[in-house]
Amino acid sequence: MDRLTYLQRQKEDQGRKVCGVFPAQYPKEILWAMNLVPAEIWDPPLSPELAAGHLQPYICSVVRQGLELLLQGKAGVCDAFLFPHTCDSIQNLASVVNDYIGLDKPCHFFYHPKAPHGAAAKVYYQEQLKALAAALEPLAGPLDQAELKRRVAQGQRVAELYGQMYQMRAQGRLACSNAGFYQAVRRGEYLFPDDLIPYLEGFLQGAQGQAPSGPRVLLSGVLPNPPEILSLLDGLGATVAADDLLACSRRLLIPPSAAADPWQALGEQYFSMPPCSSKGSPLGERLDFILGQCRASGATGVIFYLVKFCEPELFDVPILSEELKKQGVPCLTLDVELNQGLSGQMATRVEAFLEMLG
Amino acid sequence: MSLTNKLQFSFMKDLGAPALMALNQAGKKKRPPKPNPHFGPPLKSAKRLKEIMTRHYFLARYARGARPVAWVTSGAPVELLRAFGFYTIYPENHGALCGAQKMGPKLCQAAEEHGYHPDLCSYARIDLGHYFTGITPAGRLPKPDLLFASNNICQTVLYWYKALAHYHNVPLLLFDTPYNFRDITDSDVSFMSAQLEEMIPVLERVSGRKFVMERFQEIVQMAHDTSALWGQVLATMSHRPAPMTIFDAFVHLAPVVSLRGLPVSREYYKLLLAELQERVSLGIGAVTNENKRLMWDNIAIWYKVRDYAELFASKGMNFVAATYTNAWAETIHYLDQAKPFESMARAYGLVILNNNLNHRLGLMEQMIKDYQVDGLVIHSARSCKPYSVGQYDMKRLLMERLGVPSVVIEADITDSRHYSEEQAQVRLEAFFEALEN
Ligand code: SF4
Ligand code: SF4
Repeated sequence: MDRLTYLQRQKEDQGRKVCGVFPAQYPKEILWAMNLVPAEIWDPPLSPELAAGHLQPYICSVVRQGLELLLQGKAGVCDAFLFPHTCDSIQNLASVVNDYIGLDKPCHFFYHPKAPHGAAAKVYYQEQLKALAAALEPLAGPLDQAELKRRVAQGQRVAELYGQMYQMRAQGRLACSNAGFYQAVRRGEYLFPDDLIPYLEGFLQGAQGQAPSGPRVLLSGVLPNPPEILSLLDGLGATVAADDLLACSRRLLIPPSAAADPWQALGEQYFSMPPCSSKGSPLGERLDFILGQCRASGATGVIFYLVKFCEPELFDVPILSEELKKQGVPCLTLDVELNQGLSGQMATRVEAFLEMLG
Repeated sequence: MSLTNKLQFSFMKDLGAPALMALNQAGKKKRPPKPNPHFGPPLKSAKRLKEIMTRHYFLARYARGARPVAWVTSGAPVELLRAFGFYTIYPENHGALCGAQKMGPKLCQAAEEHGYHPDLCSYARIDLGHYFTGITPAGRLPKPDLLFASNNICQTVLYWYKALAHYHNVPLLLFDTPYNFRDITDSDVSFMSAQLEEMIPVLERVSGRKFVMERFQEIVQMAHDTSALWGQVLATMSHRPAPMTIFDAFVHLAPVVSLRGLPVSREYYKLLLAELQERVSLGIGAVTNENKRLMWDNIAIWYKVRDYAELFASKGMNFVAATYTNAWAETIHYLDQAKPFESMARAYGLVILNNNLNHRLGLMEQMIKDYQVDGLVIHSARSCKPYSVGQYDMKRLLMERLGVPSVVIEADITDSRHYSEEQAQVRLEAFFEALEN
């Protein structure tokens, strides 16, 4: 079932409302608990036409495509929108949409504190969680604490399943193409947990097997789009053995919290997620994370697959790549526009990089 | 901190700097300024401004080892650092200086050679380019002992300062200011003021000095007074003819940005204000034949300031307001020495770039009315997404609401490689026509 049909069915069959969510970090368990389906808006496949009247050409295509979706009236399934505070571009997009363009749907916002996180940040995060729940009440009714607890537990099960998928892939125990892996991962961008959990369980059962024996790389950046990178690697017999993608491992590999209080658990989970440029994590932490992932997965090279004009990533990459090279991990940097595929020149660079990895 | 460095710094501060600067000045051949019939007499205070800023950069060379040195972002609550005696360097101010001296492309390229993408903020690239090459028009910048950033102007500074923290291997303190998608909340204020208090032990450790509340309160008061004076300086431009131009204000902004909380900046604005008030009373305008009054949106195009000043003045057009220069006056009335942490949270959390675009539009509408603005020049600055995203809609809305014509110039603050003279000319000609109709 495609994404739009799924969302429409959720509304019709389950009586749920749909909340369009822009990237990247937000407490989806709160939305689940309020019977809202978060439908994430990362890279709608649209040709950008209308957004150019509102955004300068030097703005990334995640923001551009997201705005295009709204301007073309293709987000009709959404009853509300949520803008987490990811970067300057998303921040201003949120304000352009809310203040200047004006939608007939409510817009909500979520600020996640930036690193380093002291005690004040932890208190503030709790307050932000509760403020978000309160803001959603007019749309979704009051939040039931028991339901939140249940949804937090489901979130932990989802994280556990993602953890297993990543671990099996790292250990070479997934007989699944790169494209297939990320298709499965990205189902989490819109499936309600009642459907996501069985889906991921089924995926894990079905995908067990021996991984191809070709080169293994780590993919870093925002999201695995344009997807041609995945099929190119598949075609060359290479495996993405681990990733450091904002849309993927940086949000999905969450260590479980033992806290009994669901709010507390959400807070602990946020602060223990892998380091991320959108949270302002120090470079040393991110470097250690990438190196750790490379070691655990046998990835011998890193491909920085960047969205053009993405400041948070473009600032981190020079030091990460310099330090990785010092540690004997070769790196390749590509910056791409979403939905534009890979140029022949880029494909050649990827091939040459893989050859070098041997 | 070493005793020798401290002695050397004191010597330079009290005797060496004035003497060397006087020598330097004497050695320079005085070129008589080219008279330009479109400008009124130049501001006399400019000489004092030059002395202050030259001295600041000159003394910076001797600061390391004598005083704790911090590199600070333009929107950070520097008052807290002043309480520990930090010598502060503002890389953005340094970037503007490099931009005005047309050194932007060279320094940006140096950063690009180390992997920094040409699409990144050029203040950051200039600063990183300076790190890699040591090139600066300021002689030499002291290495930091601490980096102090606030994301109330952009998230970019956080990414940039993380890189600096790595290269210099020094601590980075972030003052995290939640963006006001709507109104600021008590929770936002508590978060920000608690962060300031959390910073104290780190600042004590790096500076080797104890925090003294009374000293801090005095500094807060001094910063309040300085910014209030700066607000009065800007307000003189509501008179017709305006006694200064925004292009002057871009330059005279330096002390309130980078020396705020020190007596020298407060005293400077007293001097400047008195001069401007005198000009108002004598009817002296910055532009001799002021017939149109304009507003500027965004940071200056530093390498074009002089050209633009001449171009607009030649048409009898004067820039009398700018959202950028206003930023250091707009929220400072919140500063209150009786509640220094909480009031700083409001003063710094509510700055224009940390506030939603609705607020910005309202502010611009008010300024257009207060300063009797006939037209708006919008600099779409490639470097600066938080300042630039939203400008296209803002242009449309201001036209719809107030009938104010405007023009968008696609350029960059310091990297002139992103400036097209041809495109700018075509757009400006159309704008001049619209203004005349
Ligand atoms: S791609 Fe980068 S710049 Fe664009 S929205 Fe995502 S984090 Fe922000
Ligand atoms: S120019 Fe803009 S992006 Fe660059 S440091 Fe200043 S506010 Fe930040």
